[in-house]
Amino acid sequence: MIELRDIWFSYPGAEAPALRGVSLRFDEGAVAVVGPNGAGKTTLLKVASALYRPSQGRVMIDGVDPWSLDEDGRTEVRRTCVYLHERPVMLRGTVWENVAYPLRVRGLGRDEVEERVERALKLMGIRELAGRRASQLSAGQLQRVALARAIAVEPRHILLDEPTANLDSHGRALLENLLRRLASQGTSIIFSTHDRFSAQRVAGRVVLMEDGVVVAEGEPEEVLKL
Amino acid sequence: MAGLALELGEVAGIVLRSLMVSGAATLLSASWSIPLALRLVLGGEGRGKRLVMDLLNSLVGIPTVVVGLILYFLLSRSGPLGQLQLLYTPLAITIGQAILITPFIASLSAEALRSVRERLWETLISLGATEGQAAATVVDEASPGLVTSILLGFSRAVGELGVALMLGGNIRGFTRVMTTAIALEVGRGEFELALALGAILVSLSFLTTLTIRALTREIGWRTLG
Repeated sequence: MIELRDIWFSYPGAEAPALRGVSLRFDEGAVAVVGPNGAGKTTLLKVASALYRPSQGRVMIDGVDPWSLDEDGRTEVRRTCVYLHERPVMLRGTVWENVAYPLRVRGLGRDEVEERVERALKLMGIRELAGRRASQLSAGQLQRVALARAIAVEPRHILLDEPTANLDSHGRALLENLLRRLASQGTSIIFSTHDRFSAQRVAGRVVLMEDGVVVAEGEPEEVLKL
Repeated sequence: MAGLALELGEVAGIVLRSLMVSGAATLLSASWSIPLALRLVLGGEGRGKRLVMDLLNSLVGIPTVVVGLILYFLLSRSGPLGQLQLLYTPLAITIGQAILITPFIASLSAEALRSVRERLWETLISLGATEGQAAATVVDEASPGLVTSILLGFSRAVGELGVALMLGGNIRGFTRVMTTAIALEVGRGEFELALALGAILVSLSFLTTLTIRALTREIGWRTLG
């Protein structure tokens, strides 16, 4: 569970805070965060995954405030989450090496790394891309590689920023199925989106944000009517 | 014929000496410039960092004769380092060129590291890397940029004249390098040898450019995504 308690966040030099007193609780299942550009969706995801330290308020990830811990402790808490950027950033090397990276930094053995990478690539339907370099991939393929890299570590929480933005209809359907399946298996999924249909298809709950504030929260049908 | 063989032998000696002196200067400079760049980009917060970066950037284009002049005073017999008796030795040229190219290598390396860090850091941390692991990954990803900065540093060192002339003295068979030999031969009206050495210098520069281009292609695809 990820809990945000009265979170305020300001970017250095910005006139207005990006988040203003946000309190939310993300249990198991999928939650969509919707709202116009500049509403604070991306900032919310980055604060919730302990990438950004809130200016005020507390983030609790599975009952622990990562900012109360030292660097090692915070890394351990962060390792329960994976945050996916809207535009996936790839490392040098092949798709296989990219997917293996988070497993290697966790110190997993070679056999386990191989097994998990193979499984993740297969699950995302990109087994044939394993030996390709990131520069040779389309935006949609990069998105799938980023997802494979995320699910390979079997995180408790997956936070995705506009995950369907670069996907075609086939890729979108595949992603939505995957998110639904992961949510049903107990992973908490938090994703921002502009696609209200995607939000409706995947999320059990929708959070509507405007100007750094949560303005509505509840069932997709109710919130998306607003 | 014997004269030509002698000339070829001398040219080969000059070229070899230039490569060794400037190669050593580049390695020496890289040994402190790269760690300095790492410290500036990956060494956490620090108030003086911006100042050091500004200083390095402003020293990139420092005239070689100025560096030569300062070191000449330091190394001359009456200077504070005169006892080392380094003036007019290949080692003096190596040290001078190493100092000359330090701002060059350090600022280019810092820029290579900074751009990779900016692009990757958040992703690496979100993938579960510790700060140490993320820093190591940034260095690995920036390695073509680091090698490029070292190659450009070598290119500047091997092509400079002021330091080699003032600290080396252009002593035949001892401290004469390509640039000082060209200056001398032109002064004597011996344009053939000067042109031959000039062609070798240009070829070296061309070779460096080709290597950098190959490395830049590598960096280019890394910045995708």
